[in-house]
Amino acid sequence: MKFSYSWIRSLVDGLDLPAESLERLITMKTAECEGIELAGELLAGAVPARVVSVEAIEGGKHVVKAVVDAGMYGRKTVVCGAPNCRAGITTVYVPLGSKSIAGVLSEGMLASASELGLSRDHAGIIELSDSDELPPPDHVIEIDNKSITHRPDLWGHHGMAREVAAITGKKLRNPVDLSSLASPGSPVNVEIEDLALCPRYSALVFENVTVQPSPLWLQHRLTSVGLNPINNIVDLTNYIMAELAQPMHAFDRARLQGDTIFARPAKVGESIVALNDESYTLTPANVVIADATGPIAIAGVIGGKDSAISETTTSIVLESANFNAASVRKTSVALKLRTDASMRFEKSQDPHNTVRALARALDLLPLVSPGIRLVGGLADRHADFPAPPPVSLNLNWLARKLGRKLDAAEVRRILESLDFGVAETGFETFSVTIPSWRATKDVSLPDDLVEEVGRMIGYDSIQPAPPLVPCAPSYDPPEREFLRSVRRLLAARGYNEISNYSFISEESARRFGLAVEDHVRVLNPIAAGQELMRTSLLPGIHGNIVENAKHLEDFRIFEVGHEIHKSDGGKPAERVHLMAALYSKAAPEGLLELKRVAECLASGLHVRPAEPRSWEHSARCAELWWQGRQVGRLSELHPELIDSGRAAVLDLDLALLQELKPDRSGYKPVRRFPTSAFDLSVIADSRELAGNLELHIRQFAGELAEAIEYVREFQGAPLPEGRKSVTFRLIAGAPDRTLSSPETTALYDRIVAGLTGLGYEFRG
Amino acid sequence: MQVILDNALDRIRAAATGEELEAVRVEVLGRKGVLAQLSKDMGKLNADDRAARGKFINASKQALESAWEEKKSGFDRAALARRLDSEWMDLTVPAAGVTPGSLHPITQIQWEIEDLFRSMGFTVLDGPEVESEFHNFDALNIPADHPARDMQDTFWLDGGHLLRTHTSPVQVRGMEKLGPPLRMIAPGRVFRNESVDASHEHTFYQLEGMMIDREVSVGNLIYFMKTLLTAIFKKEVAVRLRPGYFPFVEPGFELDIRCLICGGDGCPVCKQSGWVELLPCGLVNPHVLRKSGIDPAEWNGFAFGLGLTRLVMMRYAIDDIRWLQSGDLRFLRQF
Repeated sequence: MKFSYSWIRSLVDGLDLPAESLERLITMKTAECEGIELAGELLAGAVPARVVSVEAIEGGKHVVKAVVDAGMYGRKTVVCGAPNCRAGITTVYVPLGSKSIAGVLSEGMLASASELGLSRDHAGIIELSDSDELPPPDHVIEIDNKSITHRPDLWGHHGMAREVAAITGKKLRNPVDLSSLASPGSPVNVEIEDLALCPRYSALVFENVTVQPSPLWLQHRLTSVGLNPINNIVDLTNYIMAELAQPMHAFDRARLQGDTIFARPAKVGESIVALNDESYTLTPANVVIADATGPIAIAGVIGGKDSAISETTTSIVLESANFNAASVRKTSVALKLRTDASMRFEKSQDPHNTVRALARALDLLPLVSPGIRLVGGLADRHADFPAPPPVSLNLNWLARKLGRKLDAAEVRRILESLDFGVAETGFETFSVTIPSWRATKDVSLPDDLVEEVGRMIGYDSIQPAPPLVPCAPSYDPPEREFLRSVRRLLAARGYNEISNYSFISEESARRFGLAVEDHVRVLNPIAAGQELMRTSLLPGIHGNIVENAKHLEDFRIFEVGHEIHKSDGGKPAERVHLMAALYSKAAPEGLLELKRVAECLASGLHVRPAEPRSWEHSARCAELWWQGRQVGRLSELHPELIDSGRAAVLDLDLALLQELKPDRSGYKPVRRFPTSAFDLSVIADSRELAGNLELHIRQFAGELAEAIEYVREFQGAPLPEGRKSVTFRLIAGAPDRTLSSPETTALYDRIVAGLTGLGYEFRG
Repeated sequence: MQVILDNALDRIRAAATGEELEAVRVEVLGRKGVLAQLSKDMGKLNADDRAARGKFINASKQALESAWEEKKSGFDRAALARRLDSEWMDLTVPAAGVTPGSLHPITQIQWEIEDLFRSMGFTVLDGPEVESEFHNFDALNIPADHPARDMQDTFWLDGGHLLRTHTSPVQVRGMEKLGPPLRMIAPGRVFRNESVDASHEHTFYQLEGMMIDREVSVGNLIYFMKTLLTAIFKKEVAVRLRPGYFPFVEPGFELDIRCLICGGDGCPVCKQSGWVELLPCGLVNPHVLRKSGIDPAEWNGFAFGLGLTRLVMMRYAIDDIRWLQSGDLRFLRQF
């Protein structure tokens, strides 16, 4: 929202602060200013100038040499490219210094309305009439719209002027004279179908209207606050909107069918061509303004093209209405149409404001359309607006909330300067009445008044004070420390942490064998390729591997992140997973290193053969099991998924690991009797799993096996092709004695016999 | 006998190698050596001679053994010295084993701030990234069709769920879980549906904080923020509050810190204002307390939101937010 400094100054008596100081005060006490700029900078030295003569320049394309009578600057020669530059017109001369153009010395410039900041017209140089006066440049303060979302009144200059008056202790001028408003008896009737959707509809009818361009001062005001001048009638409605925050609309009365204006939900299938030349098909969720034959405006959003003000308009119906904020917002969102009107209505405008705007129009219309006449009186239908209940404000409570002492007179002064009503109702207690423009949504609780007082006394007047709080240990969710330990472990083991997006593409889901329909879908993705929520960290990690392999020979990476899975009907389930990857251009032993990482997190986990997935190296993949549950997967990426090198990946369900993590309590006594050890070399098929052999040995060894250690494998002569020898060291012992030599021999024999029975051989 | 002894001593002292020494030892001190033979012969002597012979043998044995030990340890030392010398190693060659990896800079800042809050008695809570409309908006006093919803462009998911646009919903979950009084923070990943460029990301990290107690004032909030920010930036930080609108707090503030680059004199970072907008905060709106089952007549509190991504960028002077989610190790390995 842009605010004109001169406009605000016209509404605050004796305001003499420079615009820059005012901007700072507004930021500190009301709303965030985003910047300040000078609108119509060229107007500073500009003067009206009559074009005395125009002559062509030899060799000059599209430019002419004009001699102008530039008032206090005297006679000047200017090179001008405007198509409308001709002798006899009065335009504007700007003394910009001399320079040579097309071989002619140009002593300044003739300006267009756009260059002067008076309108957006840049078709040619401006042409002034005798009555036109050049306005001075104006400072424009831009306020962050987000910071006035809750303040319907600050969408107009009068509301901001009230703030400025309160901040500076000056007096606010009221531009509205309600007494000028005509008595009832309008030639038009108003029918409101649902007062909840349209709490008020007020209108005046005028005749003898002349439609023409607005005077310069009006165009300048509108242009400097970002509104586009169109014609005097439309401009005036916009002017009042920018002043009082009340959107208005003017209909060409001759284009309306019948004398009744309806405010009602649209009928199914109704449509309207709006002022922006777009056609909108409406539903009963949209409120329309209609005449006897159909919609003439989308309520609170935009007017219809058919009934728009045009050069032939001679009679108008001026609408000043109030619409339900949520309804306007819904319509505006549904139609993807945000207008200056809808932006204001969705902030919950004050229904008392409709007639104020009409009174202001009644005063101003004769200035822009001389001879205009009011027909009849005011049309005004509205709901009952009970006065908002007063808010009881305890000054002691207020002081405790703010954390500083307060003077009752000071509090009263602040509230009254913002037009709150203040009555003392008890000891240190005020009964505060809320002005209607603050009551629609903004202020209803004593807490809201804490803000009013706090911002005006200035938050910098509050001394910081340590809070008095109980001394108690904080609750620590156990999974947080676990997740930290996982990240620390990976980082200590050489892995770099990565953070990937939670979104993946359909293509990527398919590529990694993930069914697209199993994914939670983003209804409004920011870009193609980000339409699904990830059910695996793999697509992201794979992308990291491919990208980093372009620069690096080898690397280790990991991510801890949420997988998001559909769950039946309910809220999607989130699982925290770890995915770690080890890449090397030269052949690595990445899989076994990652296996050790997994073991660090799940001591004693089991590796089981896995059915290969499409993205896996079909001979290098495994499931990881722990405590009877599958906790993850270990595999090498399929070689077709990377350009060169090998990439091993580990996927662990951290939520499950955390759940399965055993509590450590007690300890196993350290053994007191020595153990004995012997080696066993089992000959088996070369694809026999060492883990299987170990299981067999453990089974036959029984409880005397203290530990079974894998030592080495061997293939080649003298073993036949397709056979391997796997050597284990068995450490045997009993908790209560030293094993005797015959016992150890018997153990050895039992294992050999057992495995031989299963078809294995032994190497001597 | 003395001659034999002297001769043996000479040979021990003269031994040039460990093998030579061992040969002499076996010959003289061994089980079948000279001294053993002399002891064996003692039985044939009379008592006096036997005693004299015994003395002599013991004395000789001692002398020979100590000579042997001296010589032996000399050889051992020399052998050790040779071995050590032969094992010379160039320690300027590169180290073995993996070099440490790294934690993502967001993780590092997040942990640092979590620890800071824990030291002040705060609970750290996590919340889901997929949220219900209720927790993300309604419970925070942002009903449907409230224009404040425009402040946070939302990713909508099928099933009517959404990706949380802020960590504030964890406030609600925290109040529901812990009850008053409470001190909690909630760090985490949040999502906004906006296009990515050097200063905008649709995925970034925030930290939400809240304190609920019997008496919590704006003065307490300012104190707390000052303490916190001084700890984060590791130097005294000046702060100021100005009005800001967030439906879940009342009054609501934007907290600015005095520009750390120019100290308040004005520079491009603070756009010449001397102040940098850092975080939104405020006293918790009574509607929000009530929706979370807390009686606003008895309890009140403050809440604030801190942009972790923003802090990381400030600390390391990162000029392009996209690095953080890039997965590029040339960037990440620097942390």
